[in-house]
Amino acid sequence: MVKFIIRFRWIIISLSIVAGVSMGLLIPSSETDPEIRNVVPPDMKSRSETSKIESEFGVQDMVMLLFSDSVILTTENLQQIKEIDREISKLTGVTSRISPFTVRTIKSSEDMMTADPLIRRIPSDSAGIQKLKADILSNKFARDIVISSDMTTASITATIGDSERETVTLHRIDSILASSTGNVKVMKGGLPYIRQHIMKDVRHDGLLLVPLALLVMLLVLKITLGQWRSVIIPFSVVVLSTCISMGLIPLLGWKLSILSLLAPIILIAVANNYGIYLVSRYQEIKLQGNYSSGEGLLKEILGSLNMPILFSGLTTIAGILGLLTHSIIPAKQGGILAATGVSAALFMSLTYIPALIYLRTKSGNGVNPAKVRTEGFQKILNKLSGLIINHSGKVILVSALITLFISAGIAFIRIETNQENFFPKNSPVRIASDVINTKFGGSQTISVMISGDIKDPDVMKGIDRITDEIGNTGGVGQVFSISQAVREMSKAIYTPEEPEYDNIPASRESIAQMFELYNMSGNPEDFSQMMNLENTRAHILIRLSDPSKSVIGDVKTKIETLTAGFPGEVTVGGYAIIMADMADSLIKGQVLSLLFALITVLLLLTIIFRSFRGGLIGSIPLAASVFILFGFMGLTGIAIDSATALLSSVMVGVGVDFTIQYMWCFNIQIRKGLSYAESTRIAMATIGRSIIINAGSVMAGFLPLIFSGFMSIRFFGYLVIISIGSCLLGALILIPAILMKFKPRFIEKDLSISKTRKNEKDTSLINVGTAAFSRLSPAAGRRSDND
Amino acid sequence: MVSTMQATISLLIVEKNGATRNRTIAMTSKSFADGLEKRIIKFLEPADVRGTAMLVVDNKNTADEIWIYLPALKKTRRIASSENAKSFMSSEFSNADMGSPALSDFKSQHTTGSGTNNTWIIESIPVSDDKADEYGYSRKISYVSMDTYQVKKMEFFNLDNDHFKTIEITKFHPMPEGKFMVSDMIASNTISGRRSEIHFNNIADRVKVEDSFFTVQSLAR
Repeated sequence: MVKFIIRFRWIIISLSIVAGVSMGLLIPSSETDPEIRNVVPPDMKSRSETSKIESEFGVQDMVMLLFSDSVILTTENLQQIKEIDREISKLTGVTSRISPFTVRTIKSSEDMMTADPLIRRIPSDSAGIQKLKADILSNKFARDIVISSDMTTASITATIGDSERETVTLHRIDSILASSTGNVKVMKGGLPYIRQHIMKDVRHDGLLLVPLALLVMLLVLKITLGQWRSVIIPFSVVVLSTCISMGLIPLLGWKLSILSLLAPIILIAVANNYGIYLVSRYQEIKLQGNYSSGEGLLKEILGSLNMPILFSGLTTIAGILGLLTHSIIPAKQGGILAATGVSAALFMSLTYIPALIYLRTKSGNGVNPAKVRTEGFQKILNKLSGLIINHSGKVILVSALITLFISAGIAFIRIETNQENFFPKNSPVRIASDVINTKFGGSQTISVMISGDIKDPDVMKGIDRITDEIGNTGGVGQVFSISQAVREMSKAIYTPEEPEYDNIPASRESIAQMFELYNMSGNPEDFSQMMNLENTRAHILIRLSDPSKSVIGDVKTKIETLTAGFPGEVTVGGYAIIMADMADSLIKGQVLSLLFALITVLLLLTIIFRSFRGGLIGSIPLAASVFILFGFMGLTGIAIDSATALLSSVMVGVGVDFTIQYMWCFNIQIRKGLSYAESTRIAMATIGRSIIINAGSVMAGFLPLIFSGFMSIRFFGYLVIISIGSCLLGALILIPAILMKFKPRFIEKDLSISKTRKNEKDTSLINVGTAAFSRLSPAAGRRSDND
Repeated sequence: MVSTMQATISLLIVEKNGATRNRTIAMTSKSFADGLEKRIIKFLEPADVRGTAMLVVDNKNTADEIWIYLPALKKTRRIASSENAKSFMSSEFSNADMGSPALSDFKSQHTTGSGTNNTWIIESIPVSDDKADEYGYSRKISYVSMDTYQVKKMEFFNLDNDHFKTIEITKFHPMPEGKFMVSDMIASNTISGRRSEIHFNNIADRVKVEDSFFTVQSLAR
C-alpha cells in the first residue's frame, strides 16, 4: 500500500484534484427544483391521482394576491384591484382566476334567473358601497373567497397554467403589482410563490451556509493542526469530496432541493476527520523524529491508522446509506450524495493525503503544531472517570432514567409536511399564508374528481353530500363543487315554499335544463373548474384552513366513507393529499432507515469486537441517542419533516465512531494487564479528550445550519448538535460505566486484525484519537504511546 | 322582410382540445308590423334538453324580450334583455349574434381602409357603457361586401379593447324579394380557443304559422 502510494503519488494527487475540480465545475449547472411533489415517487398513488385530476381540470396550485386596508371597500381600493385584475387576466400563463370582478351573483328577479357580476360598476358613493357590502355578505361565492367578512382584505386567486414557465408568470404578476399605485397593502401567497421563495432561499443558503461551514472548518483545522500547510491537506479533501458529491447532482440529472443543501454540510463536518487523524499523526511522528525515511514515516502513519479510519468510514457510510430505505426521493439522493462524498473522502484520506504527506516529507518542511493549555480539560476528565469508576451502577441508572424521561416526549412527536412552515413566522410567505388560512379558507387543497354522468341526480346528490359533510369538517376552509351552483340555481328558479328549492333536482333532464338556463345568463366557462364541458367529470375542490396532517387524514377518511359505493369513479388527489402520503412515507422511511443503520452498525460492531454482545453494548449509546433525539423533538415541538427525518441516519453514521474509539482504546489498556478502573482512567484521559474535540469539530461543522432560511434546516442544525452531544455522552459516560459494571469478556479479547501486525494494531485506534489532537494534549499522546 | 320562415339549425361546438358537441334546434320566425320579429326556438338535441323552447321578441327600437321554457322543471323564465352578451346555447355565439341589434344602440362609422378591396369596413361602438355591458363588447368591426351588401366578417373587442372573437359568415341563403339570410357562420374565440359553427338547414319560407304560436303560453305545448 505504502509502496503503491509512493510510486503513483503524482497520479493519485492529480486524479484526486482532477476528479474534484471536474465534478466541481458541473455544480454551477445544477438546477433548483422547488416542487415539493417531486419529493415523492411518481408512482405514489396520491401523485398519480393528482396528475389525473390536473389533466382534466388543470394544476390546482393557486397564486393568491391579497389586498388589505383598514377598509378595503373604497372606490380607490376597488379601482386599484380592478386594474390589477384586468392586467392579470391578460397573462397567458394564468388559466383562470377568481376575483371580486369575476364572481357572479345568482338570483331570481321578476321571473328571471340572473347570474350578474358581483361588481358591474365600482360604486362611487357610500350608499353604493353599503349595497356592495351587503351583496358580498349574502353571496356564498364571494364572502371569504374574494372579500373577507371583516371587509379588510380582498383577494385575487389565479391558477397558473403550463403554457408559460411559472417563474415567468410570477415575474409578470410581480411587475403588475409593482407598477400599481394605491393605498392597499399587497401580499403574495400560494404554492407558486412558496416555490419561488424556496428557489431563492436554496440559492441563498447555498451561497451562505457552504462557505460559512468551510470557514468554520478551516478555523477548527487551524486550531487543531496549527500550521496552514497542515490545514490545507485535510481541508483540500473536504473541498474535493464535496465537489465530487455535489457534482453528482447535475451529472445524474438530479436537481438541487432544500435537502441537497445538507449533503455538503454533512461532508464538511465529517470528511475532515480522517485527514485530521493522519496529519496529526504525521506531526507527532515528525516531532518525535523516530522515522528513517519518507516511506518509513508513511508506514508508521498508515500502519496505525488505516484500519480504524476504514472502520470509522464504513460505519459512517453504513449509517448514511440507511437513507436509501426512504421512499422520499431527496432523502435517497441525499444519502447517495453524502455516502459518495464520505467514500471519496475516505479513499482520498487513505491515498491522496499520504501522497501529499510523502511529498511534504521529501521537501523537508518543518512542523509547528498548535499549543493549547489542557490542564483544566484533564481535570474534568479525571473527575468524570472517578465518578464512573466509583459509581458505575448509579451512572447507568441515572443515564437510563434521563433517557427514559426525555423519551417520554416521543408520545408528543409531530409529523410536519406543510411547506408553509418551512419559513420563519415573520417571513412574507408565512404572513400571507396565515392571512389566507384565517380569512380565505386556505391555499392548500384536496381535489376529488368524480367521473361518470354528472347530470345523474344520484351522482349530483353524492357530490352535494360530500360537499356538505367535508365543509363541516374542522380545519376545512372552503369547499367548491358543481352541486353548490345547482342548489343556488334551484333557489333562483323555485320559491322557498317549493320542495325543489335549495335542493338537487330529481331528474337528469332537470339538471341539464338548469345548466341550459344558466348558460343563457352566465358564461359556460363559469363552471370550468367544477365540471368539464362534456359533463362527464366533476371536481370538488377542498381548501384547508389548517393543512395539518390530522386534518388531511380526517378529510381523507371522510371522503373514503362518503364515496363507498358511489355511482361513479372517484379520484382523490391534490397537494395536501400528496403531503399526507409524504408524511406516511417519512414515518416509514424513518423507521426503516433507523433499523437499517442500527442493524448495519450492530453487525459492523459485532465484527470489529468479534462479539455479538460487544456489538449490542456498542449500539447502546446510539439507541439511547435515538430515543433522546425523538423525545427531545416531541418535548420541544420540533416536528419530523423531510429534513429532520434524515437526522437519525446521519447521527448513527457519525456518532458510532466515538463508541468504537473508546471501546478499542479500553480494550488495549485491558490487554496490557491494567485493571478496569485503570483502563477507564487512561482511556478517558487519552481517547476521551480526543473524542470530545472530534465531536466538537463535527458539531462546529453543522453549526452554520442554524443560519438557514428554512426552519427545518435550522432545526436540523440544532438537533444534530444535540444528537452528536448525546452520542458523545453515551460513549464517554454510559459505555465506560457499562464496561466497568458488567466487565464483559469480549472487551478483554485481542481485537487486532492479525497476529503478525499485532504491534501495529495495539496502538492503532488509540492513536486515531490521540494522534489527531496530540499537540493539544502532548501528555495524553505520550502516555498512550508509552503504555 | 320575409313574413315567416322555418329552419333546422345545427350547432357544433369545438373545444380547444378538439372535443366536439352537437346541438340541434328548430326555429320558426315571423315578421310583424313596425319591424317586430318573433322567433320560437325548440331544442331537439341533446336528448336531455329536448322540449326546451325559447320565445324571442325582437323589437326594432327597444330591448329584445326572451323567454325560455324548461319542460323538466315545468318553469318558464325570462332572460334579461341585458344579457345579450351571454352565450347562445353554450356556444361562442351570443344571444345578440342570433338577433338583429338595435341600430340606435351603436354609433357606426367607416374606419381606416374602408372602401378599398371592394369592402366597407364599419366600426360600431355602443352608445353607452351600459350598452357595452349589455352586448359584451366595446367595439365591433364589420367587413361588408360593397357588391352584395352582405357582411362577411365581424371582429369583436372586449371591454379592455382586446380582440376576443371573430364571426365569419360563410354562406347566405337566398330569400324572396332578392334578400338573403345568413345560413352558415363560424364564431372563433381568440382567447379561449373554442369555436362554434352554426348551420341553417331545411330552410322554408312563407310557411303558414298562426300568431298565437309566438306566445309564452305556446312554449309549453
